[in-house]
Amino acid sequence: MNQILVIAWREVTRLRKRFGGGASPLAVVALMAVLGLSAYYLRDTVSLGSGLYRVGVSGDVPAISDSRFAVMEVDVVQGQTMLEQKVIDVFIDSSQVYSRGDDKSQFAVRALKQYMEKQELIRVGNSFPDADAFPLRVGLNYLGAAEQAAAQNEAGPTSSITKPEEVIIPSLTPPPAPFTQVLVALLYIMPITFISIFFTSSFMDEKMNRRLTILLSAPVTPFQIIFGKMLPYAIFALVSTALIAALTKTNILLALAIFAPTTLFIFAIYLMVPLFYRTFKDTTFIAMLVTTLTTAYLVFPAMFTNVNDLAYISPLALAVKMYRNEPFGWREYLFPSLPMAAIFGLAMFAGTRLLNEEFLMGYKPLTRKLSDAIYLMMAHSKPYIAVPLWSLITIPVVYMTQIVFLAFATNLPVGLILGFTLFASALVEEVVKTVGIVALVEHGAVKSWREIVGLAFLSALGFLVGEKLLLLVSISMVSQAQVSGALFGAGLLLFIPLIAHFVFSTIITLLRTKLKFPYWLALGIGTVVHFFYNVYVLRGGM
Amino acid sequence: MIAPFFAVVKKELASVIRDRTIVISILIQLFIASFSSALLLGMLSLYDSDTIMKFGGAGIKIGVVASPDTELASLMSERGLTVLQFATLKEAQTAFFNNEVSAVVDTPLDENGITQIKLYLPELDAVSSLIRMVIQEPLKQYENYLRGQKGIEVRYTDMKGKPSTSYEFVYSVLIPMLMFFPAFVSGSMSVDSLTEEVENKTLQTLLSTPLSINGMVSAKILASVILSFVQCVAWIALLQMNGIVIQNTGWILCLAAIVAGITSTAAMLGAVMLQDRERSQFIYSLLLLAGAGISTILNSSPITALSRLAIGDAYTSGWNVAVFAVFLATLYIVLMKMSRCLLV
Repeated sequence: MNQILVIAWREVTRLRKRFGGGASPLAVVALMAVLGLSAYYLRDTVSLGSGLYRVGVSGDVPAISDSRFAVMEVDVVQGQTMLEQKVIDVFIDSSQVYSRGDDKSQFAVRALKQYMEKQELIRVGNSFPDADAFPLRVGLNYLGAAEQAAAQNEAGPTSSITKPEEVIIPSLTPPPAPFTQVLVALLYIMPITFISIFFTSSFMDEKMNRRLTILLSAPVTPFQIIFGKMLPYAIFALVSTALIAALTKTNILLALAIFAPTTLFIFAIYLMVPLFYRTFKDTTFIAMLVTTLTTAYLVFPAMFTNVNDLAYISPLALAVKMYRNEPFGWREYLFPSLPMAAIFGLAMFAGTRLLNEEFLMGYKPLTRKLSDAIYLMMAHSKPYIAVPLWSLITIPVVYMTQIVFLAFATNLPVGLILGFTLFASALVEEVVKTVGIVALVEHGAVKSWREIVGLAFLSALGFLVGEKLLLLVSISMVSQAQVSGALFGAGLLLFIPLIAHFVFSTIITLLRTKLKFPYWLALGIGTVVHFFYNVYVLRGGM
Repeated sequence: MIAPFFAVVKKELASVIRDRTIVISILIQLFIASFSSALLLGMLSLYDSDTIMKFGGAGIKIGVVASPDTELASLMSERGLTVLQFATLKEAQTAFFNNEVSAVVDTPLDENGITQIKLYLPELDAVSSLIRMVIQEPLKQYENYLRGQKGIEVRYTDMKGKPSTSYEFVYSVLIPMLMFFPAFVSGSMSVDSLTEEVENKTLQTLLSTPLSINGMVSAKILASVILSFVQCVAWIALLQMNGIVIQNTGWILCLAAIVAGITSTAAMLGAVMLQDRERSQFIYSLLLLAGAGISTILNSSPITALSRLAIGDAYTSGWNVAVFAVFLATLYIVLMKMSRCLLV
């Protein structure tokens, strides 16, 4: 523990030295001020795009201050001609709206309609008494199982409504959509990402100066080095989370609980960057890839909070709930947090295995480096333990990747979506199952046919166990349904997939290691077989 | 002078291609583009009542308890919802529990001049938010009708138009993103390529060649801009193959190249002054954010200019692009004055 604190303190000193003195703190403060200022100016214009439509107005028309519209004053004749000549998209003459039949003009009308409706409501609300301006109240009641039972037992009208009635004014209460809350939740991610980029650059700096080499020869373990260097940044990240929570007036402890696993997850991924980069440009690209993927993974599901239970794979969905003052339980909390924590654990493990001079300093193709990394992670114990364990613990990664592929697939023509998803999932699964064995063979740790086939079986077994566990956990967490019994009840149902997985990984590993096929080709062949198996199963063949 | 200059440009491009990392950058752009349109598609189908009505509106059945005021019921049918009449609330609720209707609207009651309606929705979040989405428009129209009865005239209620979200997304998010993301990357690349020379101590060697310091810096910038330009050309071609109409492609590519020049020059300026990657990249990303903010406040954002060029706006032309060229030239002159920092 002491060692960790020493390294952490050294890290803080290093940062202070780097950013102390000179003009850079001033520049940062000035830039931050500009950022704040522009955010302040732009706070009302979150609408999509700016200056897309041109609108001509004449007579008594409410001021249009929406960034999408460029407005100009014209007289009636001029307005009509400009509309004809497609110079403007819409022409408003007092309360009369003129448009053309083409798409662009019609889009402008719809966009304008939404804006004008709001303006009219403000005008009506200001110039008439409330009861006249808003003459409608809608009471929302929810009917569930309890009400159904009550309705069947009693003769009278339903008396027991469990949820209190929620009264809304339709024109003032838009239907629930979580966009704003997702944007607020995204505020938390920005500083965490920035801080973890600093964490990455600190590692790279040490690697560049060869100071890491000295540190490695000191009597500290790689775990202590990584953890010690991470500690100050993790504290910064948590402080920034607490600050944002305080500024947005929400429960600080709850926010910390929600974002702590996310912070760990982001740090885990950024820990991989300095381990694998060879040149500075590598770092930029890898870091960018990582940022995009994590942001997408966090934002995409959260947009569907309350519409789809799968939204809970992102912790932002929890933050959305938090901002809406809606309760959520342990299941909802653990569903996104556990895989993230698991990935952090995996990354820490990988980090401690890879933090050695030979691996860090070598300039090799990225694929070669990956293979070395996997070998180093496996070499700690006997292959027959390492291989199934690897298949088992990489399941959260597989699961996250498959979700990303699903999002990709929604862009394809409808007929291709299912096929693409099936193929991509098969590919990811096969990579995970075989890459370890291939790395072991290439490093000479495994040689004979028998060993390879045996390992392929163990890998398939580890993968299947992990997959079913994950399925069980996620199903019981999200819907609490009785599906789990069905999943595990039929023993034969598990036996066939096991054999299938075994066959696919054997094909790939043998093609690669014994017949010396290139890995991508072997992988492709195995994936195609796996794909047809998936299609066959889906068609109801089994 | 010219030959060493192009030798550096060539070396920079070759190293990017050799590292294969540019592939990651292209993948990212593809990913962002497809992910954001997936997001849009998903949101449209879940949160946009027009889209919901188009694809499954008639399947949504609303039970209405009979009342003398049939205005709301007819507004709902006009919207395309299937409306079933029931004599009493009890009957309607029974139908609800038998899954014959998805929601029930009770008789409007008048209470001190305010009309009260009770709406019964299923407990499941997903279904109830869907119903609230589609019933919103008829409710608002009904509210306007009630206002009309009280003598309050609400203007602009008869506007229709077509749903504009996809259009706005393509021209104000997708195209600017694909055109400017390469520029953003090229700035980062310039920082990397210079700070790497400094930290590997190869800069002095490079400067002993017949290339001036300004020549070296410019060559690195040019390499980044070329890379970004090639990507933009590819994206424009791909977008047009997908049937997206883009006007003024020449000016758009010109603007994209100028913006790539601006980001690379600005990034290089930071790198020349700070000379280490950590701080330069940080300042560069802050500068990007600040630049985007300021240009929006000044109402001359390159994003707006680009969207307007792409939709063929009547008031936007090459002159709007020229503004950015002037800015680039200024920035470049500053960089040429500052590059001496590297020699000390």
